[in-house]
Order: sequence, then C-alpha cells, then structure tokens
Amino acid sequence: MSVKYVPVQWNSNKWKYDAALIGAVAAYVLIYIRLGTPAADLARPLDYAILRMRAFGTGAFWMLTVILCIGPLARLDKRFLPILYNRRHFGVLTTAVAFTHAMFVLGWYFSFTPQSQLQALLTSNLSFSQVLGFPIEILGLAALLILAILAATSHDFWLSFLSAPVWKSLHLLIYPAYILVVAHVALGYLQIAKDPTFAILFTGAALVVAGLHLAAWNKERRVDASSTLWVKACRPEDIENKRAAIVPLSKEERVAIFRSGNSFSAVSNACAHQGGPLGEGKILYGCVTCPWHGFSYRARNGRSPAPFTEMIPTYNMKLEDGMLFIDRQANQPGTDVEPIIHEVADNG
Amino acid sequence: MTLIMIGTWYLYVGAAVATLFIPFGIGRLDENAQGAWIFRPLLIPGVLLIWPLVIWRCIVLWRGEEKLDRHRMPRKRQERATLVLICAIPLIIVTAVALRQDPDTLAQPVLLEAAK
Repeated sequence: MSVKYVPVQWNSNKWKYDAALIGAVAAYVLIYIRLGTPAADLARPLDYAILRMRAFGTGAFWMLTVILCIGPLARLDKRFLPILYNRRHFGVLTTAVAFTHAMFVLGWYFSFTPQSQLQALLTSNLSFSQVLGFPIEILGLAALLILAILAATSHDFWLSFLSAPVWKSLHLLIYPAYILVVAHVALGYLQIAKDPTFAILFTGAALVVAGLHLAAWNKERRVDASSTLWVKACRPEDIENKRAAIVPLSKEERVAIFRSGNSFSAVSNACAHQGGPLGEGKILYGCVTCPWHGFSYRARNGRSPAPFTEMIPTYNMKLEDGMLFIDRQANQPGTDVEPIIHEVADNG
Repeated sequence: MTLIMIGTWYLYVGAAVATLFIPFGIGRLDENAQGAWIFRPLLIPGVLLIWPLVIWRCIVLWRGEEKLDRHRMPRKRQERATLVLICAIPLIIVTAVALRQDPDTLAQPVLLEAAK
C-alpha cells in the first residue's frame, strides 16, 4: 500500500484556508499603506516604496510570530490543536511575503549601485563590531535563507526522504530564524521608529512568543519529571511459559511481554492485522500468535516470518531487583531487541 | 566577492545534483515517487539549498544504513532550541531599547549661517 505524491494536497478546507490567508495578507498590506500614506510629507520622506517595503516586512514578522505561537499553544491546551492544520501553507506564504520585502529593499536601497544589488547589500555596511549600526541586512538575509530552506523542504517527500528526525531537526531552524528577525527589527526599524505603537506591538509579540515557549517547556518538563521513562511491569516468574503478561502504558497503549523459556521480549499488544490482543495469544512454533486470526510475529523483532511482511512495534526492557521494566517509548515496528534472559524456576 | 562566488558555485553543484536526483534518484529511493512526476519540479529549490544533505541521505539509503529509530523525534534538540529562543528574545530587545538613541534628545542641528 502506498500513496503517490502530488504537488499540493489541496482539499476544499485548504482552499478556503489559503484564500483567507492570502486575503488577510493583501488586506494588511493595503491598510498599512493606506494608514501610512498621510504620515509621509516633505519633512518626513516616507514614500510609497518605503511603506510598501515596511508593509511586507512587518507582515512577515507578524506571520512568523503567529506560526511560532501555534506550536506551544497546541501543547499547552488541546483546544488549540486545530490551528496546527495547514501550518505548512502558512509557512510557505510567510516566506513569500518575506521574500517580497527583501526584493523591495534591494530595489529601493541598492538600485543605483555599480555592483550587483546583492553584493552592494553584503558590502555596504560591515560594522559587525558594534551593536548600534550593526548590518541588519545580513540578519534579515540569513533569516530569509532559513525560511527559504524550510519552505523548499515542506513537501511530504522531504519528510519521508530525510526521515522524521532529520526533517524535524532541519525545521528547528525556525527558532534561529525568528531570533534573527527579532534582531533585524530591534536593531533596525525599532531604532528609528518615532511612533511607539510599533515598538509596543513588536516587543509584545516577541515576548509573547518567548513566554508561550517558556510555558510549554515548563509544562513538558513537569510532565517528564512526573512520568518515568521506565514502567514497572511484573516479575519474570509471573509469566507462564509461551504466554504473555499485558502491561498498560497509557489508555491507548498496551504492551505484551512474552516469555519463551528463560527469554523475555516485549511487543505491542495490538496485532497489525485487526488489532487483536496479542498478549492473549501464545507462542506457537517460535512465533507470537494472535488469538483472533493466527497472524504470527517473532517476539524479538515484531516481524512476521517470511514471506509475510507485517510488523509491530517492539519495546526495550530491563531487569532490576527481579522486576521487569518497559521503556515507555516504543521502537519502530520491526526493530530487533535483544531479549532479557532470566533463569526461571518453573521452566516448563 | 568571495561569499557570492561560493554561493553561486554552491547553487551550480546543487543544480547538478538536482539534474541527477530528481529524474533518476527519487524513484529508486522512494516507492511513492515512482510514476509520480508532476510534484518533482517542486523539489528543485530544496535540492539546490540542501544538496549536501540530499547526497548524505542518498548514500545512507542506498547502503541500507537507515537507522530503525527513524520515528523518534529530536526532543532534546527542540528543548535546546526553545531555551535559546526564550533567552535570546528578551536579551535582544532589552539591549536594543537600552542602546536606542532618541533623535530628539541629541544635539539639535544648528544652521551655520545663522550662528554667525
């Protein structure tokens, strides 16, 4: 069974979501320019090009702020989980808005340079040793490069090809990108803005992001501290030979610890076929056998014997003070785990 | 300029990798991509930007050295990134506000002709 890749997995909800998002960005830019135009006069040379540039720049900042709030909000309160939906499209559009801002900056400040615009941007300010007057363009460029990488690798293919841990590690770059954007604004526009409104909104938004992440981190830390990684299961002697003990890990997850002589292995209690209770079955011909339809798996790796290809998750175990403990974190289906060997008196 | 030249060559190599990887490599490494062509142009920017990672993953997959714990999330890395974010944001804002120079408090410009 497989699902072929398509360019974009749109459905009616995603169309509506994307239309609303694009509409909101267009409205923001228009309103920003409309409200900003009266502020421009001969004494304050704030022309349309600058307003347009700032509209897209601030728009990208707000969008990135919202994106970074979604994760911790969903972790803090499950009612926010629905807003995780389609966050990928939100991210790609944010990159497009940030890119538009960068193009306007290049086109406005570096239009008449004899060098290439990019070269002029990279060389026009090299005051890296000072905070005030720091070349903020470089910070923005670095953030844009990160956003481009994240947007370019947002397709499902990349998740599958890179593997979830590598893909996730790559996409953790969103954190340094946001830090770069905050520095870009704080050392740039915040230094020249006369109207305190933007300073208040910008500072508030950035601190909300930091605060939400702090709250989510603190919550997860408390959960981690209260729930041990290893779950106390049973004594090896409690398990009948060729049978299993069923151990609940949570409301949804149960583990079956099978005993074959002096050898103990833990697998998921749910059969890959129809979720049958494997722990209620027994070991037949060296394989854990489901009591419902006879699907079989090797206890140490959760794989069906060839030519069958079904696999179930396995679990790491340890034996301490005569007691078996199960690692709460399941292994990927089919992962080989060395069985626990323990001499049992009734070796029947 | 050296940086731009390095960047340009980086993208050239990325283009070469994309030329091989997108038409030929993808289908061999991912069965879900076999016979699916329309989505492939979308991958070009990704290959251009992260081609060293693409080559590394191709080698890992071709050699069959894929780790079996590929479902495990890098939680420690995420925690570290979160803590850096939490510390960096207030630090940057406080520094920027503390160093901010208000033009109104600076010495006012004087018209030299009038000063005479």
